[in-house]
Amino acid sequence: MDKLFRDKKAIIIFVAPAFLLFTFVLFIPICQSVYYSFCEYNALTSPEFIGIENYRQLFTVDKTMKIAIKNSMFFLVFSVVTQLIAGLILAALLTNIKKGRNFFKNVYYLPCVLSSAALGLLWMFIFTPKLGINQILAEFGIEGPLWLMDTKGFIILPMWVIAFVALWQYVGQSMMLYMAQISGISTTLYEASYIDGCTKPQAFRYITLPLIRPMMATAMSLNAIGSLKFFDLIFNMTEGGPNHMTEVLATHLYMQGFKYFKYGYASAIGVVLLIICLIVTFIINKFVKVDNYEM
Amino acid sequence: MSNKAKESSIGSKVTKTLIYIFLSFLAVVYLLPLVWVLYVSVKDDKTLFVSPWEMPERLMIENYTFAWTAGKLGTATLNSAIVCFVTLILCLIIGSMAAFAIGRMRWKLASPMMTYFLTGMMIPVHCILIPLFVRFAKINLTNSLVGLILPYLTLSLPLTIFIMTGFFKGLPNELFESACIDGCSIYKIFTHIAFPLSKTGLFVTGLMSFVANWNELLLAMVFISDDEMKTLPVSLSKFVGPYNTNYSQMFAAIVIAIIPTIVVYCCFSNSIVDGLTQGAVKG
Repeated sequence: MDKLFRDKKAIIIFVAPAFLLFTFVLFIPICQSVYYSFCEYNALTSPEFIGIENYRQLFTVDKTMKIAIKNSMFFLVFSVVTQLIAGLILAALLTNIKKGRNFFKNVYYLPCVLSSAALGLLWMFIFTPKLGINQILAEFGIEGPLWLMDTKGFIILPMWVIAFVALWQYVGQSMMLYMAQISGISTTLYEASYIDGCTKPQAFRYITLPLIRPMMATAMSLNAIGSLKFFDLIFNMTEGGPNHMTEVLATHLYMQGFKYFKYGYASAIGVVLLIICLIVTFIINKFVKVDNYEM
Repeated sequence: MSNKAKESSIGSKVTKTLIYIFLSFLAVVYLLPLVWVLYVSVKDDKTLFVSPWEMPERLMIENYTFAWTAGKLGTATLNSAIVCFVTLILCLIIGSMAAFAIGRMRWKLASPMMTYFLTGMMIPVHCILIPLFVRFAKINLTNSLVGLILPYLTLSLPLTIFIMTGFFKGLPNELFESACIDGCSIYKIFTHIAFPLSKTGLFVTGLMSFVANWNELLLAMVFISDDEMKTLPVSLSKFVGPYNTNYSQMFAAIVIAIIPTIVVYCCFSNSIVDGLTQGAVKG
């Protein structure tokens, strides 16, 4: 038995395909990406080493980058906070009802499995000046704002719209994660607390919340990474416009890399994105994650 | 029943009703956009702005036929299906092979290998976009479905390996021992015992990779420029855009793109939701 499971040849045969794919399609490109980020490189020339020039330009000259970082950070904070709150509320409400729980759960989860490209287009139409929401508002004699084109304020209106659409699409995921964790909590804990005169909100505060903290870390880091990678909705709702005001890191990278073909410069944006992703995951895991409680 | 208990039961009934009202309102918010897109897609383009709330005089089915042919959605659906199914099958086979070696076989590098695969989960796809595109353009893999399958497969692997390793570790030792005594080879143990016994894990991981790849836009948009090779999200995004002025046809295209997912979801919603959640919990 032992010999069979130590068979070196078999191990190599089993692991090799995945390992090779991983190395050639993921690992080597990452290293190349880091190298390109220090190069002057576009579609016509071969990469030429220029040191940190790309990064210097990125952080000092590029105005769109500033907007992109601001928007990405807004997006990150907004989605982590709202998903946490809304997801928890929905999970708490749904675990408290019996009739129709499955129906509501499935309805809220539905957008998670739909193509965000298609949903982005759909919401783009809902927020076009003369269709959708503004048609409804017009019935009441209100002239609706230019949802996706307004540029006033520090965080402009289109960003809020997109952020809410993203919340609409992905809150089902957080809700399900919390529900899965809540349903794992033993009912005896609640019974004991009710005998001690605990009310339902108190039980939620002092039993449910502490016990689902590990899941909160998981859900939050999923949301954080997801919101940094966020591309489809923005691309299909505004394409980064008006005037690059709704650009985030991912769309900025796409534009620089595949519209202007500045490969080196786009790689630098990619590296910045990667570093932010790593930092955020690290922070969340460090401060939110706690050891699993006995349940 | 004492007075106080009565009061609290009335109170809890009121809260229950409020909860239901809130949840139903939210359900409407979720379903309304989908109903609206369906409704507009069968309307005449001219009446859309003039009388938005009137039912159309007749259903404009030709919106659909036009969107289907002009948007090349048929080819796109087929391409998406090919890419996703091939990726799914390869991912399950390659992923569980590696997972079996990591979770069940004994070698020193098993856990470093696992760490190597797991780092892949943290890496955003944007970072590999440019080097991969440059490389694939050199060896003629752009504008081909194979060029799309390779990165999809690689990006689905970490989660598959992670979940399947957990599954293989959980299988009882006795199974493998008795197979050994019966003279089973290590390959047979994998194909005839471990693989068939982890159907739940395969379902969960397969579902996750399929949903993610079916909806993937960025990679497909960068790698494919030939209309005949485009996948569904790309063709849709191209058809529905600033250059198209016929709204109802664009809506029909959106409906065509999301209807298959909705139908499948309605049939298996419970197992899909549970499967995806399980996958996310473990990931």
